Amino acid sequence: MSEHFVERPRFLCSLGGAAATVTALPGGVPILHSASGCAGNFAWTQNGGSGLQVGGYCGSLTVPSSNMQENEVVFGGEERLREQIKNTLEVIDGGLYVVLTGCVPEMIGDDIFAVVNDFRDEGAPIIGAITGGFRGNSYWGYDLVLQALVKDYLERGLPKVKGKVNLWGVVPYMDPFWRGNLEGARHLLELVGLEVNSFFTPVDSLESIRRAGEAELNIVVSDIYGQEAARQFEDRHSTPYLTLPLPIGPSASEEFLRSVGQALDLESDRVEAIIAREKRHYYQILEPLTDCWNDLDLQRYAVVVGDGNYAVALTRFLVDDLGWLPELTVCTDQLKDEEREALAGRVADFSSGYRTNLVFETDASEVLGHLNRHWPRAKGEKYYNAFGPAFVVGSSLERELAIQIGAPHLSVSFPVANRAVLDRGYTGFRGGLRLAEDLLSAVVVNR
Amino acid sequence: MSYFDQKVPPKREDRLKAVIAHQDSICGLAKRCEGKGGKSCLIDDGERGFTQGSICLLLPALAMLNTLPDNVVLLHSALGCGSCTHSQNANVRVGSAVRQGKARDGIWLSTALDETDVISGGEPKLEQAIIEADRRYRPATIAIVAGCVPGIIGDDIDGVAQKLQTQVSAKLLPVHCEGFKTKIWATAYDAVYHTIGRNLLEERGVTDPKPEEALAVLREQEREARTVNLMNVSSMGRVDEQELERLLTALGLEVNVFPVFSHPDSFVKATRAALSISTCPTHDDYFLGYLQERFDVPSIIRHMPIGIANTSLWLRDVAAVFGAEEQVERLIAVEEAELREALEEFRPLFQGKRVFISAGEFRALATANLLQEIGFEVVGIRSFHHDEFADEEYGKLAKEAKTDYVVDIANVQPFEEANLLNRLKPDLFLGHANGNMTAAKLGIPTHVIYNTGLAYIGYRGAYEIARRLHRQLKNPAYNRNLAANLWLPYTENWYGAEPFSYLNTRGRAENE
Repeated sequence: MSEHFVERPRFLCSLGGAAATVTALPGGVPILHSASGCAGNFAWTQNGGSGLQVGGYCGSLTVPSSNMQENEVVFGGEERLREQIKNTLEVIDGGLYVVLTGCVPEMIGDDIFAVVNDFRDEGAPIIGAITGGFRGNSYWGYDLVLQALVKDYLERGLPKVKGKVNLWGVVPYMDPFWRGNLEGARHLLELVGLEVNSFFTPVDSLESIRRAGEAELNIVVSDIYGQEAARQFEDRHSTPYLTLPLPIGPSASEEFLRSVGQALDLESDRVEAIIAREKRHYYQILEPLTDCWNDLDLQRYAVVVGDGNYAVALTRFLVDDLGWLPELTVCTDQLKDEEREALAGRVADFSSGYRTNLVFETDASEVLGHLNRHWPRAKGEKYYNAFGPAFVVGSSLERELAIQIGAPHLSVSFPVANRAVLDRGYTGFRGGLRLAEDLLSAVVVNR
Repeated sequence: MSYFDQKVPPKREDRLKAVIAHQDSICGLAKRCEGKGGKSCLIDDGERGFTQGSICLLLPALAMLNTLPDNVVLLHSALGCGSCTHSQNANVRVGSAVRQGKARDGIWLSTALDETDVISGGEPKLEQAIIEADRRYRPATIAIVAGCVPGIIGDDIDGVAQKLQTQVSAKLLPVHCEGFKTKIWATAYDAVYHTIGRNLLEERGVTDPKPEEALAVLREQEREARTVNLMNVSSMGRVDEQELERLLTALGLEVNVFPVFSHPDSFVKATRAALSISTCPTHDDYFLGYLQERFDVPSIIRHMPIGIANTSLWLRDVAAVFGAEEQVERLIAVEEAELREALEEFRPLFQGKRVFISAGEFRALATANLLQEIGFEVVGIRSFHHDEFADEEYGKLAKEAKTDYVVDIANVQPFEEANLLNRLKPDLFLGHANGNMTAAKLGIPTHVIYNTGLAYIGYRGAYEIARRLHRQLKNPAYNRNLAANLWLPYTENWYGAEPFSYLNTRGRAENE
């Protein structure tokens, strides 16, 4: 990993993540206070990385944007922003408008809150967030939007309602499977009788988001994304949060339900009965695969490359549910030490006891080097315990690696350029079945 | 002094007086532009008080730079700038597969300037990044592309490149793409050509051949006398290049496609060609002027070979340079006859259907011409900008226009388009990439006017566009379903308002 550059970054800037997050909110309308090209850059990025999903209700090139020019750089952009907000409220029909800043206004020192608060005072449903691109990546942009909602949109002082929870940690568009993954995690929680506010699914509403402070627990299915917002939520609304890994497949889902059950003091017999039923269904569906699984010898070594959610969650599914052998797990996020430790703790704790080799590397072209160091290549020996048969689960940037080691490949983590994704998801018991289908289909594609 | 002696190329609003905010009609523009004799644009640019995001020059610049084999793109900006490459990479993969036989991923890097860099300057980080990129990838060239952040904090990418050039083996190519500095994103082409011109073009012809090499040199010179540069800044896929190569080869010419997918080493060919031919004046005028000025390579920059008449006009201009007037007439006669006969199959479905077209100015106007030729009635055009090069095109269209339809000069701005389409209710819409969603959600059959994998250019392109439109119109159920179940994010009031309500209102509230 270079200290001086990031190769083919698998994320946008914080503004890009923030804009995508706002467009995923019900009735959400971002108002970019930025240079003109930011919106187009996001649209093109989603086109290439988010499984063919671009925009939404008010995304892509429909996004209102102040399109700052040199004039604003010299004289300041606050008046231009005021004009843009006023006209946006006339032209664009939204439920919640969120002003998001790019690099340019922040470097010249525009105060967006001075402008936004004037409109708020007049009753417009509008908030703002400071999301300049140099502040971090798009996952952080998601966190910043949640922080802004927590601070300025959620009603305060609401009494807690038993059985109500908020679900965070899946980042719209940065996880190309965000819709399905939210649905899958939500479904798990509903199985044990909880009322779930997941913010970004079709059944969520701005009204339910405003009342998110009623929740007795925030569940963040990520060791990284949404963590800071969850901390601020606890400070402002006194709702504690529970951090769990993205629950992909039966083992992770089982543990997920048990952890939530304990945190909320749910009746454990009931939780166990639900887990038993769901596992029974999972294995009933898996049952007819048994002949071909054996006849075709479908166990694989694997390299897993993914973001802070997927690297661990995919590895765990391969290890604990599928009985594969992921020897190398590459997390492609730029993380703080404590975040790395959190992920390292997760991979040390698989129920099967199998250990992968976890590395942190942003650059696609370096992954093969990590693999070669971990599993030295043949040196002309007559008998050589090769890394194979192998499989590469990663992003579409890992196609080259898969070709280099002669393995089939599946794109799951951003960028996913070579799959069409609508509401497919891998979370929950059933998500595990979807993932098994996709992995094994890639193995037998030439059959 | 040449523009190319400056570190930064001029922006097009200064050099060409190009505009992006203007309301007009086809006859109005034809009249304004008539007989101006190529002087720069006479329209004053407007400003909109409500705007939607579009792109900046960084995006088309990267579309060119990422195709260059053996090149690494090093973005010097905040982390997000250049992430558009995730979609452009598809074109790099397909383009290299069809040209070089192997799909290749582009390599792009970001210095990912953070808060500390914004305060203390990004030059030290850039220097280290250049050195490490040179060692890790061993590329022939490193394009150092500046975004908005260095433009504001004052990093000098040219100075850094100059300082480091002797320490690295790659040729360093500084490219200026500070998005806030120009509203005309076609400045991108100038930005990339500028660095090519300043850093990659060298005269390397043999001037004093040894006697035993004289014959080979003479043969090479003969070849060069019939070699033409066919300019492609990434708006043509291989299939379109092949169509133009087919036609030019039929005139006995050898074709050097330049600069996309050209290896930096091959750029020297461009300086020794007999002629450079543009397929789109929006792209190439800056560079062709330079090739003429420094290397005496003349050029043709008129007509876009989209549509039947336009393709023939384009070919005639080329043939005239090489004295092949008779040859070209025979070629055109055969090609046009074959094409017209082939198009008959589609005409009944097209006849009288009303179409709205949206794209970069020259492409929109040339495509409008083609659509008229195959039976459609044009009822509106939205051009991303306007400059002098398109003057003649408005005249061509006005002559054929059934009504004096609207021309909206807008850097996308789909809100105006939504309003216009809601009034005009056309039967078909052709829009640029990321530009069809408005019409699609209104239920209008749509087709992409630019996609580097599809055929658009020449006689073959005319047929293929017709074939694709015929397919779209045979079953437009997809968009119809969208319209029945989705809606655009505009208020009812906006659909009732005059479509250009926000034109030239910018700053008005403060001035009153």
